Amino acid sequence: MVKWTQRINCRSCILAFILVWLVACSGGSNISENFHDPDMDFALLRTVAVMPFDNLTTDRLAAARVRNTFMTSLFATGVVYVIPSGEVVRGIKRAGIENPVIPSPEEIAKLTAIIKADAVITGVVNEYGQVRSATTTANVISVSMQMIEKESRKVVWSASTTKGGISAWDRLFGGGGRPMEDVTEAAINDLINKLFY
Amino acid sequence: MILSTSYSIRSGFILFAVLIGLSVAAGPNYAEEGAGETGSGQKRPKIAVFPIFNLSGTPAPLKHIRQLLSDNLKADGQSIIDEQVLENVFARNRIRYVGGLDFPAASAVRQEAGADVVLITSLEHYSYVLPPKIALTSRLVSTGNRIRILWMDGVGLAGDDSPGLLDLGLIENPDTLLEMAAQRILTSLSEFLSTGRKQSDFPSASRKHRPKVIYRSPVLDPAVPYTVAVMPFFNLSERNFAGEIMALHFVRQLVAHDNFNVIEPGVVRAALLRGRVIMGGGISLADADLMSRLLKADLVLSGKIMDYQDFQGAAAKPKVDFAAEIFEEKSREVVWAALSHNQGDDGVFFFDWGRVNTAYVMAGQMVQLAVEDMVEPE
Repeated sequence: MVKWTQRINCRSCILAFILVWLVACSGGSNISENFHDPDMDFALLRTVAVMPFDNLTTDRLAAARVRNTFMTSLFATGVVYVIPSGEVVRGIKRAGIENPVIPSPEEIAKLTAIIKADAVITGVVNEYGQVRSATTTANVISVSMQMIEKESRKVVWSASTTKGGISAWDRLFGGGGRPMEDVTEAAINDLINKLFY
Repeated sequence: MILSTSYSIRSGFILFAVLIGLSVAAGPNYAEEGAGETGSGQKRPKIAVFPIFNLSGTPAPLKHIRQLLSDNLKADGQSIIDEQVLENVFARNRIRYVGGLDFPAASAVRQEAGADVVLITSLEHYSYVLPPKIALTSRLVSTGNRIRILWMDGVGLAGDDSPGLLDLGLIENPDTLLEMAAQRILTSLSEFLSTGRKQSDFPSASRKHRPKVIYRSPVLDPAVPYTVAVMPFFNLSERNFAGEIMALHFVRQLVAHDNFNVIEPGVVRAALLRGRVIMGGGISLADADLMSRLLKADLVLSGKIMDYQDFQGAAAKPKVDFAAEIFEEKSREVVWAALSHNQGDDGVFFFDWGRVNTAYVMAGQMVQLAVEDMVEPE
């Protein structure tokens, strides 16, 4: 009978090491959360207002960039009409909303009446920019959003996503990861998929 | 045989007459009256060369550029309004804005200086740091009661656009680059003045500069002629005047399409001032309605610019990121929206092949493809 120590040859050791190493290195993030209100009929939504997003990053334009990409991408689906940002700003001013990134239910009711929206989407950009690990860098984005329906003033959809980050490829070959715009688009597409499907 | 010869002579004569007639009809119609006459009998417009409007955000030899344009136009045989006469008209009528033409300015320039058309030139980039870079946009606008953009063209050059073998083709002198840019503009203008061609053909834009996200409503009919007002873009970038530059890119591309009647940016600016429109975060529906009414526009194009970077130096790569949308007056809805972003080294893998050196050229290609999608959707 062959002992188990004799079965472990050099090749299998190397293969096991590579496998463990790859798993350990694969830090490219792909995390997501999703909530849909089971009582909500999303097919009724025709017009949506996207509020300015909260920015928890050091990049002062991160929220504006993500919101812009989200609005155009949502428009491009052709499923809902997205109220233009200038019109949303006018509505915020007329409704007297003090902090548009976290509007109260009363403020949402006022706003939706002014701009004739069926729902309001708010969002938070948690992370936007480069992450570094030793000598490797890559771009990462982390966004969460929620939709509040005008009649019930309840959160009917909520989702979050994280895209980008340092992958095994980045660790092995460098390159700085994917461009920030591409990572943003991937995150937005993920959120839109979660909203509709 | 004699009959057939006389027939061919007659048909040749008719063909010649038709060709002459077509060439006259194809020529530009500058204004209803006042155009000067050349020795050959062909009417030539009196051109007022406006001072250069500096959108570069840096000090630049503006007087030199204006002089270069005036001198070259004179050498080409064009009738140019004297600079001092024009300055007097500006002083009398308190005209300070030279980046566009509104109705009072158009009327004053026509009546007091006798100009049929105005050449408005914007300097969008100027860098004398090696390699030098320059970007110019010019347009010819008719004066009088009917302000129309007759011709528009632009050029963006960098000293290292074609460095060639051992950098023998590298242009180090900014004046040389400036002369090249002016020459290109004037060649296109001369061609317009003789043939009526609106602008030189755009080089085919690279597919990598296509908009990344596009929305197009079926309401927007490519066959219908539209009057378009292009608003200055809401500028979120760190570059001064990026909003105005991006608006000019759209104006230039839209002017090239026959089914768009683009309102002169000077008239749009005057309407924005008259309507006291402040675009906080973009244009609202009420503002778009007001602009449509004031300007009699079917479409109002506006947008946001997030990045318009044009760094100095050889290793620097430009970056442009913008979003544009179009309001339609009748439906009171956004009928077209696009999101576009690119960097100068996108899709470049070997030896800088395919690299774009100026934000002007890259933005031009991005807008060209966006407008093509608007006109001819895939």
